[in-house]
Amino acid sequence: MFIDQLTLKHYRNYEKLDVTFDDKINVIIGENAQGKTNLMEAIYVLAFTKSHRTPREKELIQWNEEYGKIEGRLTKRNQSIPLEIILSTRGKKAKLNHLEQKRLSDYIGAFNVVMFAPEDLTLVKGPPQIRRRFIDMELGQIQPRYIYHLGQYQKILKQRNMLLKQMQRKEVQDKTMLSVLTEQLAQHAATLLERRFLFLELLRKWARPIHDGISRQLEDLEIQYNPTVDVSEEANKEIIETVYLNKFQEIEEKEIERGTTLCGPHRDDLTFYVNQKDVQTYGSQGQQRTTALSVKLAELELIYNEVGEYPTLLLDDVLSELDDYRQSHLLNTIQGKVQTFVSTTSVDGINHSTLQNAELFRVHNGTVEKES
Amino acid sequence: MYYPEPISKLIDSFTKLPGIGPKTAVRLAFFVLNMKDDDVMDFANSLVNAKRELTHCSTCGHITDKDPCAICQDDTRDGSIICVVQDPKDVIAMEKMKEFNGKYHVLHGAISPMDGIGPEDINVPDLINRLKEEDVNELILATNPNIEGEATAMYISRLVKPSGIKTTRIAHGLPVGGDLEYADEVTLSKALEGRRDL
Repeated sequence: MFIDQLTLKHYRNYEKLDVTFDDKINVIIGENAQGKTNLMEAIYVLAFTKSHRTPREKELIQWNEEYGKIEGRLTKRNQSIPLEIILSTRGKKAKLNHLEQKRLSDYIGAFNVVMFAPEDLTLVKGPPQIRRRFIDMELGQIQPRYIYHLGQYQKILKQRNMLLKQMQRKEVQDKTMLSVLTEQLAQHAATLLERRFLFLELLRKWARPIHDGISRQLEDLEIQYNPTVDVSEEANKEIIETVYLNKFQEIEEKEIERGTTLCGPHRDDLTFYVNQKDVQTYGSQGQQRTTALSVKLAELELIYNEVGEYPTLLLDDVLSELDDYRQSHLLNTIQGKVQTFVSTTSVDGINHSTLQNAELFRVHNGTVEKES
Repeated sequence: MYYPEPISKLIDSFTKLPGIGPKTAVRLAFFVLNMKDDDVMDFANSLVNAKRELTHCSTCGHITDKDPCAICQDDTRDGSIICVVQDPKDVIAMEKMKEFNGKYHVLHGAISPMDGIGPEDINVPDLINRLKEEDVNELILATNPNIEGEATAMYISRLVKPSGIKTTRIAHGLPVGGDLEYADEVTLSKALEGRRDL
Protein backbone atom coordinates (compact mmCIF):
# COMPACT_ATOMS: atom_id res chain seq x y z
CA MET A 1 0.00 0.00 0.00
CA PHE A 2 1.11 3.55 -0.49
CA ILE A 3 -0.10 7.08 -0.13
CA ASP A 4 0.29 9.19 -3.24
CA GLN A 5 -1.47 12.38 -2.36
CA LEU A 6 -1.45 14.37 0.84
CA THR A 7 -3.29 17.56 1.64
CA LEU A 8 -2.81 19.47 4.86
CA LYS A 9 -4.72 22.41 6.17
CA HIS A 10 -3.84 24.31 9.32
CA TYR A 11 -1.66 21.45 10.46
CA ARG A 12 1.19 22.45 12.80
CA ASN A 13 3.32 24.87 10.73
CA TYR A 14 1.56 24.02 7.46
CA GLU A 15 -1.00 26.62 6.46
CA LYS A 16 -1.90 24.73 3.34
CA LEU A 17 -0.12 21.93 1.55
CA ASP A 18 -0.89 19.80 -1.45
CA VAL A 19 1.77 17.33 -2.45
CA THR A 20 2.07 14.17 -4.55
CA PHE A 21 4.44 11.43 -3.47
CA ASP A 22 6.20 8.58 -5.17
CA ASP A 23 5.09 5.05 -4.35
CA LYS A 24 8.67 4.07 -3.53
CA ILE A 25 11.26 6.27 -1.83
CA ASN A 26 10.57 9.89 -0.89
CA VAL A 27 13.35 11.88 0.68
CA ILE A 28 12.33 14.91 2.69
CA ILE A 29 15.22 17.36 3.02
CA GLY A 30 15.26 20.50 5.06
CA GLU A 31 16.99 22.47 7.75
CA ASN A 32 15.96 22.06 11.35
CA ALA A 33 12.57 23.44 12.42
CA GLN A 34 11.17 23.70 8.89
CA GLY A 35 8.48 21.02 9.15
CA LYS A 36 10.06 17.67 8.22
CA THR A 37 8.86 15.84 11.29
CA ASN A 38 5.48 17.57 11.11
CA LEU A 39 5.04 16.13 7.64
CA MET A 40 5.97 12.65 8.86
CA GLU A 41 3.70 13.09 11.84
CA ALA A 42 0.79 14.04 9.59
CA ILE A 43 1.15 10.75 7.71
CA TYR A 44 1.31 8.93 11.02
CA VAL A 45 -1.82 10.66 12.29
CA LEU A 46 -3.60 9.77 9.06
CA ALA A 47 -2.95 6.11 9.89
CA PHE A 48 -3.46 6.05 13.65
CA THR A 49 -5.65 9.14 14.26
CA LYS A 50 -3.18 10.16 16.95
CA SER A 51 0.31 11.51 17.08
CA HIS A 52 3.37 9.63 18.22
CA ARG A 53 4.70 12.80 19.78
CA THR A 54 1.88 14.18 21.85
CA PRO A 55 -1.37 13.02 23.39
CA ARG A 56 -2.81 16.55 23.10
CA GLU A 57 -4.57 16.93 19.78
CA LYS A 58 -4.81 20.68 20.10
CA GLU A 59 -1.10 20.93 19.45
CA LEU A 60 -1.58 19.47 15.99
CA ILE A 61 -3.73 22.36 14.87
CA GLN A 62 -1.93 25.42 13.60
CA TRP A 63 -1.46 28.10 16.19
CA ASN A 64 -4.56 30.30 16.63
CA GLU A 65 -6.69 28.18 14.30
CA GLU A 66 -9.93 26.41 15.16
CA TYR A 67 -9.45 23.29 13.12
CA GLY A 68 -6.95 21.39 11.04
CA LYS A 69 -7.31 18.77 8.38
CA ILE A 70 -5.25 15.94 6.91
CA GLU A 71 -6.39 14.28 3.72
CA GLY A 72 -4.67 11.49 1.90
CA ARG A 73 -5.26 9.14 -0.97
CA LEU A 74 -4.33 5.61 -0.12
CA THR A 75 -3.79 2.97 -2.76
CA LYS A 76 -4.35 -0.51 -1.45
CA ARG A 77 -4.97 -3.68 -3.45
CA ASN A 78 -5.09 -1.49 -6.58
CA GLN A 79 -7.97 0.48 -5.12
CA SER A 80 -7.86 4.11 -4.26
CA ILE A 81 -9.25 4.97 -0.84
CA PRO A 82 -9.62 8.56 0.39
CA LEU A 83 -8.73 9.09 4.05
CA GLU A 84 -9.48 12.17 6.06
CA ILE A 85 -8.80 13.32 9.61
CA ILE A 86 -10.44 16.49 10.82
CA LEU A 87 -9.00 17.94 14.00
CA SER A 88 -10.84 20.57 15.91
CA THR A 89 -10.66 22.01 19.38
CA ARG A 90 -13.81 20.06 20.17
CA GLY A 91 -12.57 16.67 19.02
CA LYS A 92 -11.63 14.82 15.89
CA LYS A 93 -13.34 12.99 13.09
CA ALA A 94 -11.94 10.20 10.98
CA LYS A 95 -13.40 9.57 7.54
CA LEU A 96 -12.79 6.52 5.45
CA ASN A 97 -14.06 6.69 1.89
CA HIS A 98 -15.80 9.98 2.83
CA LEU A 99 -17.76 8.20 5.56
CA GLU A 100 -17.21 9.15 9.16
CA GLN A 101 -16.12 6.25 11.35
CA LYS A 102 -17.50 6.60 14.86
CA ARG A 103 -15.37 3.85 16.28
CA LEU A 104 -11.61 4.25 15.96
CA SER A 105 -11.27 0.50 15.56
CA ASP A 106 -13.24 0.82 12.32
CA TYR A 107 -10.72 3.33 10.97
CA ILE A 108 -7.34 2.20 12.24
CA GLY A 109 -5.96 -0.61 10.20
CA ALA A 110 -7.06 0.76 6.84
CA PHE A 111 -3.70 2.44 6.36
CA ASN A 112 -0.73 0.63 7.87
CA VAL A 113 2.29 2.66 8.84
CA VAL A 114 5.52 1.75 10.56
CA MET A 115 7.51 4.64 11.93
CA PHE A 116 11.11 4.61 12.97
CA ALA A 117 12.06 7.82 14.75
CA PRO A 118 14.84 8.71 17.17
CA GLU A 119 12.40 8.04 20.03
CA ASP A 120 12.15 4.44 18.89
CA LEU A 121 15.73 3.87 19.86
CA THR A 122 14.38 3.99 23.40
CA LEU A 123 12.19 0.96 22.65
CA VAL A 124 14.87 -1.19 24.22
CA LYS A 125 16.28 1.00 26.96
CA GLY A 126 13.28 3.14 27.82
CA PRO A 127 10.58 2.48 30.43
CA PRO A 128 8.16 -0.46 30.04
CA GLN A 129 5.22 1.70 28.91
CA ILE A 130 7.07 2.40 25.64
CA ARG A 131 7.19 -1.32 24.93
CA ARG A 132 3.57 -1.83 25.94
CA ARG A 133 2.54 1.03 23.69
CA PHE A 134 4.54 -0.52 20.88
CA ILE A 135 2.68 -3.82 21.27
CA ASP A 136 -0.70 -2.10 21.52
CA MET A 137 -0.20 0.12 18.46
CA GLU A 138 1.21 -2.57 16.23
CA LEU A 139 -1.24 -5.22 17.30
CA GLY A 140 -4.05 -2.71 16.91
CA GLN A 141 -3.24 -1.94 13.30
CA ILE A 142 -3.27 -5.55 12.20
CA GLN A 143 -6.15 -6.55 14.47
CA PRO A 144 -8.65 -3.72 14.97
CA ARG A 145 -10.65 -5.81 17.47
CA TYR A 146 -7.69 -5.57 19.81
CA ILE A 147 -8.21 -1.82 20.18
CA TYR A 148 -11.78 -2.43 21.28
CA HIS A 149 -10.73 -4.98 23.90
CA LEU A 150 -7.94 -2.71 25.09
CA GLY A 151 -10.41 0.15 25.54
CA GLN A 152 -12.79 -2.05 27.51
CA TYR A 153 -9.93 -3.29 29.66
CA GLN A 154 -8.74 0.23 30.44
CA LYS A 155 -12.25 1.28 31.40
CA ILE A 156 -12.68 -1.61 33.83
CA LEU A 157 -9.19 -1.00 35.16
CA LYS A 158 -10.04 2.60 35.97
CA GLN A 159 -13.23 1.54 37.75
CA ARG A 160 -11.40 -1.11 39.70
CA ASN A 161 -8.55 1.18 40.70
CA MET A 162 -11.04 3.74 41.94
CA LEU A 163 -12.87 1.12 43.98
CA LEU A 164 -9.60 -0.15 45.45
CA LYS A 165 -8.72 3.41 46.41
CA GLN A 166 -12.10 3.78 48.12
CA MET A 167 -11.49 0.49 49.92
CA GLN A 168 -8.03 1.59 50.95
CA ARG A 169 -9.58 4.67 52.55
CA LYS A 170 -12.18 2.37 54.15
CA GLU A 171 -15.01 4.25 52.42
CA VAL A 172 -16.19 0.97 50.98
CA GLN A 173 -16.06 -2.28 52.97
CA ASP A 174 -18.14 -4.60 50.82
CA LYS A 175 -16.04 -6.93 48.72
CA THR A 176 -18.81 -8.05 46.39
CA MET A 177 -18.30 -5.19 43.96
CA LEU A 178 -14.56 -5.84 43.93
CA SER A 179 -15.13 -9.46 43.00
CA VAL A 180 -17.44 -8.37 40.16
CA LEU A 181 -14.85 -5.98 38.73
CA THR A 182 -12.11 -8.55 39.24
CA GLU A 183 -14.06 -11.05 37.19
CA GLN A 184 -14.64 -8.51 34.41
CA LEU A 185 -11.00 -7.47 34.46
CA ALA A 186 -9.69 -11.04 34.38
CA GLN A 187 -11.88 -11.80 31.40
CA HIS A 188 -10.59 -8.87 29.36
CA ALA A 189 -7.02 -9.32 30.61
CA ALA A 190 -7.10 -12.88 29.30
CA THR A 191 -8.32 -11.70 25.89
CA LEU A 192 -5.50 -9.17 25.67
CA LEU A 193 -2.83 -11.56 26.87
CA GLU A 194 -3.86 -14.31 24.47
CA ARG A 195 -3.61 -11.88 21.55
CA ARG A 196 -0.30 -10.47 22.74
CA PHE A 197 1.18 -13.96 22.99
CA LEU A 198 0.22 -14.66 19.39
CA PHE A 199 1.68 -11.33 18.28
CA LEU A 200 4.93 -12.04 20.09
CA GLU A 201 5.25 -15.36 18.36
CA LEU A 202 5.00 -13.61 14.98
CA LEU A 203 7.34 -10.82 16.01
CA ARG A 204 9.99 -13.33 17.08
CA LYS A 205 9.61 -15.27 13.89
CA TRP A 206 10.36 -12.20 11.75
CA ALA A 207 12.79 -10.34 13.99
CA ARG A 208 15.30 -13.14 14.51
CA PRO A 209 16.42 -13.63 10.88
CA ILE A 210 16.50 -9.85 10.35
CA HIS A 211 18.68 -9.32 13.40
CA ASP A 212 20.90 -12.12 12.25
CA GLY A 213 21.37 -10.29 8.95
CA ILE A 214 22.00 -6.86 10.42
CA SER A 215 24.51 -8.20 12.93
CA ARG A 216 26.35 -10.20 10.23
CA GLN A 217 25.40 -13.48 11.88
CA LEU A 218 27.11 -12.45 15.12
CA GLU A 219 24.08 -11.91 17.29
CA ASP A 220 21.15 -14.04 18.25
CA LEU A 221 18.01 -12.12 19.24
CA GLU A 222 15.44 -13.46 21.65
CA ILE A 223 12.33 -11.57 22.74
CA GLN A 224 10.65 -12.49 25.97
CA TYR A 225 7.23 -11.38 27.13
CA ASN A 226 6.96 -10.98 30.90
CA PRO A 227 3.38 -11.18 32.13
CA THR A 228 2.45 -10.47 35.74
CA VAL A 229 1.09 -13.97 36.05
CA ASP A 230 2.78 -17.31 35.62
CA VAL A 231 1.23 -18.77 32.49
CA SER A 232 2.46 -20.58 29.41
CA GLU A 233 2.30 -18.74 26.07
CA GLU A 234 0.42 -21.68 24.62
CA ALA A 235 -2.40 -21.38 27.14
CA ASN A 236 -5.85 -20.60 25.80
CA LYS A 237 -8.09 -17.79 27.00
CA GLU A 238 -9.98 -19.86 29.57
CA ILE A 239 -6.81 -21.06 31.24
CA ILE A 240 -5.33 -17.54 31.29
CA GLU A 241 -8.53 -16.21 32.84
CA THR A 242 -8.41 -18.79 35.64
CA VAL A 243 -4.77 -17.99 36.29
CA TYR A 244 -5.63 -14.28 36.59
CA LEU A 245 -8.56 -14.97 38.91
CA ASN A 246 -6.37 -17.06 41.22
CA LYS A 247 -3.67 -14.42 41.22
CA PHE A 248 -6.15 -11.65 42.04
CA GLN A 249 -7.49 -13.69 44.93
CA GLU A 250 -3.97 -14.21 46.23
CA ILE A 251 -3.06 -10.52 46.15
CA GLU A 252 -6.42 -9.07 47.18
CA GLU A 253 -5.28 -7.80 50.58
CA LYS A 254 -2.18 -6.26 49.06
CA GLU A 255 -4.19 -4.52 46.34
CA ILE A 256 -6.56 -3.00 48.87
CA GLU A 257 -3.62 -1.90 50.99
CA ARG A 258 -1.96 -0.25 47.99
CA GLY A 259 -5.23 0.98 46.53
CA THR A 260 -4.46 -0.06 42.96
CA THR A 261 -4.52 -3.02 40.58
CA LEU A 262 -1.15 -4.76 40.78
CA CYS A 263 -1.52 -7.41 38.13
CA GLY A 264 -2.59 -7.48 34.49
CA PRO A 265 -1.46 -6.65 30.94
CA HIS A 266 -1.06 -2.98 31.91
CA ARG A 267 2.01 -3.96 33.95
CA ASP A 268 3.61 -6.43 31.56
CA ASP A 269 6.92 -5.87 29.82
CA LEU A 270 9.20 -7.16 27.10
CA THR A 271 12.83 -8.17 27.48
CA PHE A 272 15.20 -8.35 24.56
CA TYR A 273 18.12 -10.75 24.78
CA VAL A 274 21.12 -10.70 22.49
CA ASN A 275 23.28 -13.79 22.82
CA GLN A 276 21.41 -14.60 26.03
CA LYS A 277 22.22 -11.24 27.59
CA ASP A 278 19.56 -8.71 28.50
CA VAL A 279 20.15 -5.87 26.02
CA GLN A 280 18.53 -3.23 28.21
CA THR A 281 21.06 -3.78 30.99
CA TYR A 282 24.10 -5.29 29.34
CA GLY A 283 23.84 -4.32 25.69
CA SER A 284 25.95 -1.62 24.07
CA GLN A 285 24.33 1.46 22.48
CA GLY A 286 24.89 -0.17 19.12
CA GLN A 287 23.20 -3.40 20.17
CA GLN A 288 20.24 -1.50 21.54
CA ARG A 289 19.91 0.34 18.25
CA THR A 290 20.25 -2.78 16.17
CA THR A 291 17.62 -4.49 18.28
CA ALA A 292 15.18 -1.62 17.85
CA LEU A 293 15.86 -1.61 14.11
CA SER A 294 15.37 -5.38 13.80
CA VAL A 295 12.06 -5.18 15.62
CA LYS A 296 10.85 -2.33 13.39
CA LEU A 297 11.89 -4.10 10.22
CA ALA A 298 10.24 -7.28 11.50
CA GLU A 299 7.03 -5.30 11.66
CA LEU A 300 7.19 -4.64 7.94
CA GLU A 301 7.27 -8.37 7.27
CA LEU A 302 4.72 -9.11 9.95
CA ILE A 303 2.22 -6.66 8.49
CA TYR A 304 2.96 -7.91 4.99
CA ASN A 305 2.07 -11.41 6.10
CA GLU A 306 -1.05 -10.43 8.05
CA VAL A 307 -2.42 -7.78 5.71
CA GLY A 308 -1.04 -8.90 2.38
CA GLU A 309 0.74 -5.64 1.55
CA TYR A 310 3.74 -3.80 2.91
CA PRO A 311 2.94 -0.82 5.14
CA THR A 312 4.32 2.65 4.51
CA LEU A 313 7.59 3.19 6.35
CA LEU A 314 8.47 6.53 7.94
CA LEU A 315 12.14 7.03 8.77
CA ASP A 316 12.28 10.26 10.67
CA ASP A 317 15.83 11.48 11.08
CA VAL A 318 17.20 8.05 11.91
CA LEU A 319 19.31 7.25 8.89
CA SER A 320 22.09 9.47 10.19
CA GLU A 321 22.00 7.59 13.49
CA LEU A 322 22.94 4.32 11.86
CA ASP A 323 26.35 3.27 10.60
CA ASP A 324 27.01 2.59 6.91
CA TYR A 325 26.46 -1.12 7.15
CA ARG A 326 23.13 -0.81 8.95
CA GLN A 327 22.04 2.00 6.65
CA SER A 328 22.59 -0.08 3.57
CA HIS A 329 21.04 -3.13 5.17
CA LEU A 330 17.96 -1.08 5.92
CA LEU A 331 17.80 0.42 2.45
CA ASN A 332 18.32 -2.95 0.79
CA THR A 333 15.46 -4.40 2.79
CA ILE A 334 12.98 -1.80 1.64
CA GLN A 335 14.25 -1.37 -1.87
CA GLY A 336 11.56 -1.54 -4.47
CA LYS A 337 8.79 -2.89 -2.26
CA VAL A 338 8.01 -0.52 0.60
CA GLN A 339 6.86 3.06 0.20
CA THR A 340 9.27 4.94 2.39
CA PHE A 341 9.60 8.48 3.64
CA VAL A 342 13.07 9.45 4.76
CA SER A 343 13.61 12.76 6.47
CA THR A 344 17.09 14.16 6.78
CA THR A 345 18.93 17.44 6.92
CA SER A 346 21.15 16.44 4.03
CA VAL A 347 21.66 13.58 1.61
CA ASP A 348 25.42 13.96 1.59
CA GLY A 349 27.17 10.98 3.01
CA ILE A 350 24.39 8.58 2.17
CA ASN A 351 25.70 6.89 -0.92
CA HIS A 352 23.14 4.33 -1.69
CA SER A 353 21.60 3.65 -5.05
CA THR A 354 18.15 3.55 -3.43
CA LEU A 355 18.42 7.18 -2.45
CA GLN A 356 19.85 8.29 -5.75
CA ASN A 357 16.72 7.11 -7.53
CA ALA A 358 14.42 8.64 -4.97
CA GLU A 359 12.10 11.61 -5.29
CA LEU A 360 13.46 14.60 -3.42
CA PHE A 361 11.29 17.07 -1.55
CA ARG A 362 12.68 20.20 -0.01
CA VAL A 363 10.91 21.51 3.06
CA HIS A 364 11.24 25.17 3.86
CA ASN A 365 9.22 26.99 6.47
CA GLY A 366 5.96 25.11 6.02
CA THR A 367 6.19 24.63 2.26
CA VAL A 368 7.25 21.56 0.33
CA GLU A 369 8.81 21.65 -3.09
CA LYS A 370 9.51 18.73 -5.32
CA GLU A 371 13.01 18.74 -6.82
CA SER A 372 13.46 17.50 -10.30
CA MET B 1 -25.49 41.65 24.37
CA TYR B 2 -27.44 41.57 21.13
CA TYR B 3 -30.71 40.40 22.67
CA PRO B 4 -33.06 42.08 25.15
CA GLU B 5 -32.79 40.40 28.52
CA PRO B 6 -36.00 38.29 28.50
CA ILE B 7 -35.09 36.55 25.29
CA SER B 8 -31.45 36.04 26.17
CA LYS B 9 -32.65 34.37 29.39
CA LEU B 10 -34.93 32.13 27.36
CA ILE B 11 -32.05 31.21 25.06
CA ASP B 12 -29.92 30.37 28.07
CA SER B 13 -32.68 28.13 29.40
CA PHE B 14 -32.95 26.24 26.14
CA THR B 15 -29.21 25.61 25.99
CA LYS B 16 -29.54 23.75 29.30
CA LEU B 17 -31.49 21.02 27.52
CA PRO B 18 -29.57 18.03 26.15
CA GLY B 19 -28.85 18.12 22.44
CA ILE B 20 -29.57 21.85 22.13
CA GLY B 21 -26.67 24.01 21.06
CA PRO B 22 -26.58 27.83 20.96
CA LYS B 23 -28.00 28.09 17.42
CA THR B 24 -30.94 25.77 18.03
CA ALA B 25 -31.62 27.61 21.28
CA VAL B 26 -31.92 30.91 19.41
CA ARG B 27 -34.23 29.34 16.85
CA LEU B 28 -36.44 27.84 19.57
CA ALA B 29 -36.54 31.07 21.56
CA PHE B 30 -37.68 33.10 18.54
CA PHE B 31 -40.22 30.44 17.73
CA VAL B 32 -41.66 30.79 21.24
CA LEU B 33 -42.05 34.57 20.66
CA ASN B 34 -44.33 33.86 17.72
CA MET B 35 -46.41 31.23 19.50
CA LYS B 36 -49.95 31.92 20.73
CA ASP B 37 -50.15 33.13 24.32
CA ASP B 38 -52.26 30.14 25.38
CA ASP B 39 -49.82 27.68 23.90
CA VAL B 40 -46.95 29.33 25.67
CA MET B 41 -48.85 29.20 28.97
CA ASP B 42 -49.63 25.52 28.43
CA PHE B 43 -46.02 24.83 27.63
CA ALA B 44 -44.76 26.63 30.71
CA ASN B 45 -47.34 24.91 32.91
CA SER B 46 -46.50 21.46 31.66
CA LEU B 47 -42.86 22.12 32.40
CA VAL B 48 -43.62 23.20 35.95
CA ASN B 49 -46.21 20.48 36.55
CA ALA B 50 -44.05 17.69 35.24
CA LYS B 51 -41.42 18.71 37.71
CA ARG B 52 -43.81 19.40 40.60
CA GLU B 53 -46.29 16.57 40.36
CA LEU B 54 -44.11 13.67 39.38
CA THR B 55 -42.33 11.70 42.05
CA HIS B 56 -40.59 8.37 42.15
CA CYS B 57 -42.69 5.38 43.14
CA SER B 58 -41.67 4.31 46.65
CA THR B 59 -41.82 0.66 45.63
CA CYS B 60 -40.18 0.42 42.24
CA GLY B 61 -38.63 3.83 41.65
CA HIS B 62 -40.45 4.49 38.38
CA ILE B 63 -41.68 8.04 37.73
CA THR B 64 -45.32 8.49 38.70
CA ASP B 65 -47.93 11.05 39.66
CA LYS B 66 -49.36 8.86 42.40
CA ASP B 67 -47.55 6.61 44.82
CA PRO B 68 -47.35 3.62 44.40
CA CYS B 69 -47.31 3.80 40.64
CA ALA B 70 -49.93 2.32 38.31
CA ILE B 71 -47.76 -0.68 37.48
CA CYS B 72 -47.12 -1.54 41.12
CA GLN B 73 -50.82 -1.22 41.92
CA ASP B 74 -51.96 -3.36 39.00
CA ASP B 75 -53.04 -6.71 40.52
CA THR B 76 -53.33 -8.39 37.14
CA ARG B 77 -49.56 -8.19 36.78
CA ASP B 78 -47.36 -10.98 38.02
CA GLY B 79 -45.52 -9.72 41.10
CA SER B 80 -43.29 -12.79 41.24
CA ILE B 81 -41.18 -11.57 38.34
CA ILE B 82 -39.26 -8.33 38.67
CA CYS B 83 -37.40 -6.74 35.80
CA VAL B 84 -34.51 -4.53 36.92
CA VAL B 85 -33.74 -1.58 34.62
CA GLN B 86 -31.44 1.42 34.83
CA ASP B 87 -33.80 4.17 33.82
CA PRO B 88 -37.53 5.09 33.77
CA LYS B 89 -37.22 5.32 29.99
CA ASP B 90 -36.32 1.64 29.96
CA VAL B 91 -39.63 0.82 31.67
CA ILE B 92 -41.46 2.70 28.91
CA ALA B 93 -39.49 0.77 26.29
CA MET B 94 -40.38 -2.54 27.94
CA GLU B 95 -44.02 -1.54 28.28
CA LYS B 96 -44.29 -0.65 24.61
CA MET B 97 -43.46 -4.26 23.89
CA LYS B 98 -46.66 -5.32 25.73
CA GLU B 99 -45.19 -8.78 26.34
CA PHE B 100 -43.88 -8.46 29.83
CA ASN B 101 -46.46 -8.87 32.54
CA GLY B 102 -44.29 -8.73 35.62
CA LYS B 103 -43.25 -5.73 37.67
CA TYR B 104 -40.24 -3.44 37.52
CA HIS B 105 -37.51 -2.02 39.61
CA VAL B 106 -35.77 1.15 38.42
CA LEU B 107 -32.21 1.66 39.64
CA HIS B 108 -31.67 5.22 38.35
CA GLY B 109 -28.13 4.57 37.23
CA ALA B 110 -25.42 1.95 37.30
CA ILE B 111 -22.62 1.28 39.73
CA SER B 112 -19.53 3.22 38.72
CA PRO B 113 -16.77 3.81 41.29
CA MET B 114 -15.21 6.40 38.96
CA ASP B 115 -18.29 8.58 39.16
CA GLY B 116 -18.56 7.91 42.87
CA ILE B 117 -21.71 5.83 42.40
CA GLY B 118 -21.85 2.83 44.70
CA PRO B 119 -24.65 0.26 45.19
CA GLU B 120 -26.27 2.37 47.92
CA ASP B 121 -26.46 5.39 45.59
CA ILE B 122 -28.72 3.58 43.17
CA ASN B 123 -31.89 1.80 44.16
CA VAL B 124 -30.19 -1.48 45.17
CA PRO B 125 -30.95 -1.48 48.94
CA ASP B 126 -34.64 -0.94 48.15
CA LEU B 127 -34.53 -3.86 45.75
CA ILE B 128 -33.06 -6.15 48.41
CA ASN B 129 -35.76 -5.11 50.91
CA ARG B 130 -38.39 -5.69 48.30
CA LEU B 131 -37.12 -9.20 47.65
CA LYS B 132 -37.38 -9.93 51.38
CA GLU B 133 -40.91 -8.59 51.70
CA GLU B 134 -42.47 -9.72 48.45
CA ASP B 135 -42.78 -13.19 47.09
CA VAL B 136 -40.44 -13.06 44.11
CA ASN B 137 -39.39 -16.03 41.99
CA GLU B 138 -37.37 -14.44 39.27
CA LEU B 139 -35.27 -11.34 38.85
CA ILE B 140 -34.58 -10.28 35.26
CA LEU B 141 -31.52 -8.06 35.03
CA ALA B 142 -32.07 -5.71 32.10
CA THR B 143 -29.31 -3.16 32.70
CA ASN B 144 -27.48 -1.77 29.67
CA PRO B 145 -25.00 -4.04 27.90
CA ASN B 146 -21.95 -1.90 28.66
CA ILE B 147 -19.26 -2.28 31.29
CA GLU B 148 -21.12 -0.46 34.08
CA GLY B 149 -24.47 -2.09 33.31
CA GLU B 150 -22.84 -5.49 33.17
CA ALA B 151 -21.03 -4.92 36.47
CA THR B 152 -24.27 -3.77 38.10
CA ALA B 153 -26.09 -6.89 36.90
CA MET B 154 -23.31 -9.14 38.15
CA TYR B 155 -23.28 -7.33 41.48
CA ILE B 156 -27.02 -7.72 42.02
CA SER B 157 -26.96 -11.37 41.00
CA ARG B 158 -24.29 -12.03 43.60
CA LEU B 159 -26.27 -10.33 46.34
CA VAL B 160 -29.39 -12.24 45.44
CA LYS B 161 -27.84 -15.65 44.84
CA PRO B 162 -27.86 -16.82 48.51
CA SER B 163 -31.63 -16.23 48.70
CA GLY B 164 -32.21 -18.82 45.98
CA ILE B 165 -34.20 -16.44 43.77
CA LYS B 166 -33.60 -17.17 40.10
CA THR B 167 -31.68 -14.34 38.42
CA THR B 168 -31.52 -14.00 34.65
CA ARG B 169 -29.72 -11.60 32.33
CA ILE B 170 -31.33 -10.38 29.12
CA ALA B 171 -29.61 -11.65 25.99
CA HIS B 172 -27.62 -9.38 23.73
CA GLY B 173 -26.91 -9.91 20.12
CA LEU B 174 -28.38 -9.28 16.72
CA PRO B 175 -31.33 -6.97 16.20
CA VAL B 176 -34.37 -8.77 14.90
CA GLY B 177 -35.18 -8.18 11.24
CA GLY B 178 -31.64 -7.03 10.56
CA ASP B 179 -29.06 -8.50 8.25
CA LEU B 180 -26.16 -10.46 9.61
CA GLU B 181 -23.74 -8.70 7.27
CA TYR B 182 -24.53 -5.28 8.74
CA ALA B 183 -23.89 -6.24 12.35
CA ASP B 184 -20.68 -4.88 13.84
CA GLU B 185 -18.07 -7.40 14.92
CA VAL B 186 -18.53 -6.86 18.64
CA THR B 187 -22.27 -7.49 18.51
CA LEU B 188 -21.76 -10.44 16.23
CA SER B 189 -19.26 -12.10 18.54
CA LYS B 190 -21.62 -11.50 21.50
CA ALA B 191 -24.39 -13.12 19.51
CA LEU B 192 -22.15 -16.07 18.78
CA GLU B 193 -21.25 -16.42 22.46
CA GLY B 194 -24.91 -16.45 23.39
CA ARG B 195 -26.01 -18.99 20.81
CA ARG B 196 -28.42 -21.70 21.89
CA ASP B 197 -29.64 -25.15 20.93
CA LEU B 198 -32.38 -25.45 18.40
